[in-house]
Amino acid sequence: MDPAFIRNYCIIAHIDHGKSTLADRMLEITGTVSAREMQEQLLDSMDLERERGITIKAQAVRMGYSHPGGSTYELNLIDTPGHVDFSYEVSRSLAACEGAVLVVDATQGIQAQTLANVYLAIEHDLTIIPVVNKIDLPAAEPERVIAELGTAFGYTPDEVLLVSAKNGTGVAELLEAIVERIPAPEAHRDRPLRALVFDSKYDSYKGVLAYVRVADGIVRGTERIRMMATDTQTDVLEVGVFKPAMVRVPSLEAGEVGYVATGLKSVGEVRVGDTITTARNGSSEPLPGYGGQKPMVFAGLYPAEGTEFHDLREALERLQMNDASLVYEPENSQALGPGFRCGFLGLLHMEIVQERLEREYDMDLVVTAPSVGYRVLMNDGTVRDISRPTDLPEGGTYDAIEEPWLDVTILTPSRFVGAMMELVNSRRGTFKRTEYLEAASAKPASGEGMPSSDPRVVLDVALPMAEVIVDFYDQVKTRSRGYASLDYSFGGYQVAPLVRLDILVNSVPVDELSLIMHRDRAQSQGRALVDQLRRLIPRHLFDVPIQAAIGSRVIARETIKALRKNVLAKCYGGDITRKRKLLEKQAEGKKRMKRIGSVEVPQEAFLAVLRMGKS
Amino acid sequence: MRPLGAGGRAHAVRPYNAGRPWPRRSYNGVVSTPLALYVHIPFCETKCPYCDFNTYAAIEPLMPAYVGALTHEIAAWGAWLGRPPLASVFFGGGTPSYLPAPHLAKLTEAIRAAFEWPDAIETTAEANPGDCTPEQLRAMRAAGFDRLSVGVQSFDDGELRLLGRRHSASDARAAVRGARAAGFANLSIDLMLGLPGQPLDAWARSIDEAAALDVDHVSVYALTLEGGTPMEADVARGTLPEPDADLAADMYLLAQERLGAAGFEQYEISNWAKPDMQSRHNLAYWEGRPYLGVGPGAHSHLLGDALGPHGVRFANLRSPRTYIERVSAWEPAGVVSASALASAGAVETADALSEATAAGETMMMGLRLNEGVSDAAFRDRFGAGIAERFPGPVAECLSLRLLEWSGGRLRLTEPGRLLGNEAFGRFVAAASEASSGAGRA
Ligand SMILES: Nc1nc2c(ncn2[C@@H]2O[C@H](COP(=O)(O)OP(=O)(O)OP(=O)(O)O)[C@@H](O)[C@H]2O)c(=O)[nH]1
Ligand code: SF4
Ligand SMILES: [Mg+2]
Repeated sequence: MDPAFIRNYCIIAHIDHGKSTLADRMLEITGTVSAREMQEQLLDSMDLERERGITIKAQAVRMGYSHPGGSTYELNLIDTPGHVDFSYEVSRSLAACEGAVLVVDATQGIQAQTLANVYLAIEHDLTIIPVVNKIDLPAAEPERVIAELGTAFGYTPDEVLLVSAKNGTGVAELLEAIVERIPAPEAHRDRPLRALVFDSKYDSYKGVLAYVRVADGIVRGTERIRMMATDTQTDVLEVGVFKPAMVRVPSLEAGEVGYVATGLKSVGEVRVGDTITTARNGSSEPLPGYGGQKPMVFAGLYPAEGTEFHDLREALERLQMNDASLVYEPENSQALGPGFRCGFLGLLHMEIVQERLEREYDMDLVVTAPSVGYRVLMNDGTVRDISRPTDLPEGGTYDAIEEPWLDVTILTPSRFVGAMMELVNSRRGTFKRTEYLEAASAKPASGEGMPSSDPRVVLDVALPMAEVIVDFYDQVKTRSRGYASLDYSFGGYQVAPLVRLDILVNSVPVDELSLIMHRDRAQSQGRALVDQLRRLIPRHLFDVPIQAAIGSRVIARETIKALRKNVLAKCYGGDITRKRKLLEKQAEGKKRMKRIGSVEVPQEAFLAVLRMGKS
Repeated sequence: MRPLGAGGRAHAVRPYNAGRPWPRRSYNGVVSTPLALYVHIPFCETKCPYCDFNTYAAIEPLMPAYVGALTHEIAAWGAWLGRPPLASVFFGGGTPSYLPAPHLAKLTEAIRAAFEWPDAIETTAEANPGDCTPEQLRAMRAAGFDRLSVGVQSFDDGELRLLGRRHSASDARAAVRGARAAGFANLSIDLMLGLPGQPLDAWARSIDEAAALDVDHVSVYALTLEGGTPMEADVARGTLPEPDADLAADMYLLAQERLGAAGFEQYEISNWAKPDMQSRHNLAYWEGRPYLGVGPGAHSHLLGDALGPHGVRFANLRSPRTYIERVSAWEPAGVVSASALASAGAVETADALSEATAAGETMMMGLRLNEGVSDAAFRDRFGAGIAERFPGPVAECLSLRLLEWSGGRLRLTEPGRLLGNEAFGRFVAAASEASSGAGRA
């Protein structure tokens, strides 16, 4: 296909503003998917995506489109996820495109991820087509959203398209605008091959599939290729495109988006961000790629009863091929045995990884409390990165601990500004600036009518990451009755008076329950944690003391009194089987617990730390 | 009083077989150890809020049809099994005393016609104090009952109301007196401890009154909040205080002390008896002897030539209506085999016991008795001693001081008696692992 007739674009938006539904209509209008095969949010093909109604993984799809002008175009669409945890996926997709369709919900207006994604698209120099979606809804206020798009990004009303992804209104016009406004890719087919790997996926027959955008040259289905960063060579099994099912094509040419089936069995060899070139007469200059995304949240994943360590390793390897943002390394825990320390982009990402492991790979897992990564400035001037509380060196060997901060943008109707600030202050946050999204003429104060009629305010604040990962998002939603939205990005490290809170069960310290926290929080958190554990750990045949300590100083203590009575009442009318089953079930439950010394601790206890701070 | 343990079995006053091996005479394929017969009476005047037994209020119109069906089931079993001898008869429920006397008489007649019913065996009916009029008591004696188990539950009228019982404390006293007067030489009462909001001193009054009463046997049960009962819902909702397990433990210890002082000997976790007055019927369950249950939801365990080395456990379906339909149409024929039992009468589930399961259940039930489980008897049945069959559980329970050896028997320690599940659970879990392991191999 002549590059002049190719358009590569992604759909970006705040979560739930209708990206995937809009993609459905495009697939339909272009005849890529027949009416019979159509289903809602077709590109959300994972069970988890369909159940939760959100996109987790970006999806590329090729469509053939006949423009009313008479020419036929090849459209390469990438549907992206909206949740902040997956903004890295968005930015990777952007690198494969020349344009972006920016979707804004007509009932909600601009939200935090709208801002974040627009800035990303601008950074990537993409042509943006602003679209107001869901105009079919009675609560839609397209005029207002058009005005917001003007204030926030300077779009004029005639640049903005109005659509309903649900019933298809305006989608044909949008496709026309895509062809007309988004530039054709710059493509040099005579140059040596350079293809950017912007995502990957594992296929049990074809090995790692590299999702590529070909920048220069041509990649054929029979090529011997080289991955430039890892210097791995392999014979391509096939190249193809997603329609959205995988369809083999003879070659992918500069300007096109598709997949390369590498036959490779490990993601280590096919890194997202790497450049593919030909093995012979290849290019020597890789494409810019991406700065690797650093994980924000860490947690230990351990096999529970019924799952083997090596099965978990295999599952993680497989999953990583579909989720390049997941990082892990083996670790060993006294209480939980061998497992993995995993890094995630955020709590949703962590939850999804856990759930995919459990469902797609049939794993039974214990997940430890999530923690952020700290930097320890050692006396000798070196810096140590630690991702788990027990790695904190001995007191006296370091000068300071730095914790990661986030730059957080909260977008809220003006009436909740006070509530938001209060929340930020209670989480050790600092205020940076506010800005009104509406034109200066809009009245600043309000409180009458619906919150949605308030002027909307952008609050820029900074918060320690540790304060955000627990339940900050929930709190923002609760305290704004769902009207405020949130986005964040990494904002550097700051020194803080942090201490490690240790938990001892029957005098045995439990690494998995240790927490690093602000000194001022230790007392109250310690007490709360000890109290939670007292409720969660069953009574034993002896007293079990539970202590919270900083170093050797015990700051909270509770005792789980010895069990005195555990006996079944009468065995009625000879129903012995029922009694036996009951005892078997109790024993099953016990087996699922983890032994710490002579104490059996249920998995929920390890999750108790996770709930700490949630009130 | 004769001491427990030490060689002899203190409760063997009316031995149906005096320690000799069980006769292996076969009745149509069923080994004829005399059977313990359980007869279920699923009627109650009202349903108590803590009760999850298979019993119903307001289905009295079913009584005649029910008694007809039950009579048929009794006759059919008797005929199919070849009129085997009985070891004990127990009418439970529900409320057997609530059934009009002519019905009760019809049922005992049917039993007498279908089974070999030795005169001396224990024949119990459960009774509610409110039903114990002199006429009903006399009629029950005449029908063949010689033991009454009276559901007293408490001697505190407030507690009785909380339990939704239809009688008062004075009804209970009158029932006991009346039963004696009617000629019941063997009387038992049930009491419940650990009620929501029940203070220790209230329990002390109930247990003292029980201890002083002219009865031969006392059963003490801790209230269990069964899922789906109104009382459980009330506790979950917070309208009733949650029973305090530690307080219940104190109550239990108090019961042990007061009943012991009054000459009752504890022979099982929940049961005390005057010398030689233990419940023979319930001993069949604890000692793993065969029993036949008739009526809806009744459970049975039969041993036999075609029933595998450890016999078959089976249970009837629970609904009285469906039971009447199913059982009335039943005409048994052929040899009593595991598969024949699975489709017999109103049987809903039937399982042949594996050796591992049988060994686990032997421990679970036998350890409930104060005398515990005889290592020799265990070896006779399973070909290995208890510690050989269950090395892990035995070692653990001994070191936790839950169990102890005494005169060739493994038994609960005194402090272990309240923690029975901790011991039973270990045996049952080991057995279930062994049997699932065997299944996989
Ligand atoms: N009424 C109406 N509902 C819409 C429209 N577009 C999308 N929706 C609904 O909005 C919800 C979210 O739509 P999705 O397409 O999953 O949104 P998304 O932006 O892909 O969401 P994420 O991928 O999770 O960020 C779904 O319930 C859609 O049915 C529209 O034009 N009109
Ligand atoms: S009388 Fe007994 S069987 Fe009947 S409902 Fe009450 S507790 Fe249950
Ligand atoms: Mg989506």
